[in-house]
Amino acid sequence: MTPSRWDRLKNDQMVLAALFLLPTLLVLLSVVVYPFLSAVWISFQAKQAGTPGQFIGVQNYAELLGNPVFLQIVGNTIFYTAVAVAIKFTLGLLAALVLAPERRLNGLYRTVLFVPWAVPTVIAALNWRWVYDEFSGMLNNVLLALGLTKNVVAWLAEPQLAMWCVIAVAVWTGTPFYTMSFLAGLQAIPKELYEAARLDGASTLQEFRHVTVPGMQAIFLVTVMLSTVFTSTSLVIVNVLTNGAPAERTNILPNFSFNLAMGTGRLGIASAVNMIFFPLLILVILGLSRRLLAARAS
Amino acid sequence: MAVTSSMRGLRRGRALAAYVVLAVLAVWTLGPLYWMVTTSFKTNREVYGTSATLWPRQPTLANYRVLFTKTPFAVYFQNSTLIALATTAVTVLTSAFGAYALVRLRFPGRRFLARGLVYTYLVPQSLLFIPLFTILVNTGLSNTRTGLVLTYLGFTVPFCTWLLMGYFVSVPVELEEAGLVDGCSRLGVLFRIVMPVTLPALAVTAFFSFTLSWNEYLYASVFVSDVNAKTIPTGIPSFIIEDVFFWGPMMASTVLSVIPPLAVYFIFQRWLLTGLTLGAVKG
Repeated sequence: MTPSRWDRLKNDQMVLAALFLLPTLLVLLSVVVYPFLSAVWISFQAKQAGTPGQFIGVQNYAELLGNPVFLQIVGNTIFYTAVAVAIKFTLGLLAALVLAPERRLNGLYRTVLFVPWAVPTVIAALNWRWVYDEFSGMLNNVLLALGLTKNVVAWLAEPQLAMWCVIAVAVWTGTPFYTMSFLAGLQAIPKELYEAARLDGASTLQEFRHVTVPGMQAIFLVTVMLSTVFTSTSLVIVNVLTNGAPAERTNILPNFSFNLAMGTGRLGIASAVNMIFFPLLILVILGLSRRLLAARAS
Repeated sequence: MAVTSSMRGLRRGRALAAYVVLAVLAVWTLGPLYWMVTTSFKTNREVYGTSATLWPRQPTLANYRVLFTKTPFAVYFQNSTLIALATTAVTVLTSAFGAYALVRLRFPGRRFLARGLVYTYLVPQSLLFIPLFTILVNTGLSNTRTGLVLTYLGFTVPFCTWLLMGYFVSVPVELEEAGLVDGCSRLGVLFRIVMPVTLPALAVTAFFSFTLSWNEYLYASVFVSDVNAKTIPTGIPSFIIEDVFFWGPMMASTVLSVIPPLAVYFIFQRWLLTGLTLGAVKG
């Protein structure tokens, strides 16, 4: 019996691939690729929400770069991202190193330390806003009860403190991701390497320096780059905690863009805000995708 | 002998240091959650001002009652659930098909597509919300739950496809060839051979899709203003009325909103570590 044409077609790889990939391609083209190109185009327009835009060249970009508030927010974004990533990295590595060996209660601690990761970021931000509350929040209550302070602190309104308080929340929600990645990375390092190092009389510190760090390099890189992208482009924490106050001290670019678009309806310039930051992100993304693809190939 | 006892001392010292670190991290992790849960069971008197307590002296369910009788929380909860389930179902199917094609079928442009997937996954939402808003308004999908599901696919599908590719590659080709020889179609191979052996991977995919859409904030706050289509992340902050916070009911709502993702997390926990090595989503 010769297979019918339909059977042959059914198993033809090209036809199948097209069919299998159709939904994915539809999704990617309609809600990622097309909107992305459209965002680039809108950033060169004077466009008010609900009206057709008008091409104005690089005017939006010029306006932004001439605005000291915008430059301050660029600085904030870099500071916020760099500090949050650095602290998350340190805490995540510390937690992973401590959780890695089979020890009593480690299973329990693992579960506990991962919990913030399952808490929606909005919820975490609201929760923290309540912790920071000037008059009834937990932080002031505990500090007063312990006698560590006599006056309540307005955590989110204090210009010197606000950004650190926002970063603390980013650290709280983001650290479990680092802990998990690093734990997985630690498990992948061959035990023999540690044994060999021990036979050579390496100290704990040397072991860490010459076995752990080289073995984790790829994971370190991927984690930091992914986290950089998501930390710098996520506005939830800032939006819910302070919305940029006091005096734009805690504002970051995605939140600035959001407020421009939703508050003033100036979609063109709001798009340009994100575009200016994008080249920096692209560098991170390019490095990252190369890493991810290399890891997949090996 | 002296060596072994000093070794043991060292090991004990290390264990002690580890427990100190863990205790500090646990307090830091659980502190805010403690405040959230206890606040939700307090009376107003104990929530505010000088009579504020660290522990509810007269535990009450009043805040929860307010939530269900005076606010549309139940609507938000229902919307979030429906949207998360729909996104999960569509994502798992779409990604399974896409990942299988990218891993097992030969066709021109395969590598380009696989690479493109990583790039699309990394395009931040903050860049896309403006044009997407215009598109949704033009297609009549703004203020609808369908609109949210469709836009959520934009970040769940690339990530989950990428994740599944890693697992599908590890399925022995011989297994599939045997199926093909036995007269299975490719579709049959995918559904009867590949998907059953990669069940844990599909579970991880489902977990990510569910939590990502349950947590989503930016798209939900831009594309939806109608109470009937609002989800929890944008609904709860709207309890803030003119800068007045009703912290009791608000914390009750956060407690209830954390339960579904936490439940899913506890169920899927053992598979997550492997899924995460491939790079997850928050952080």
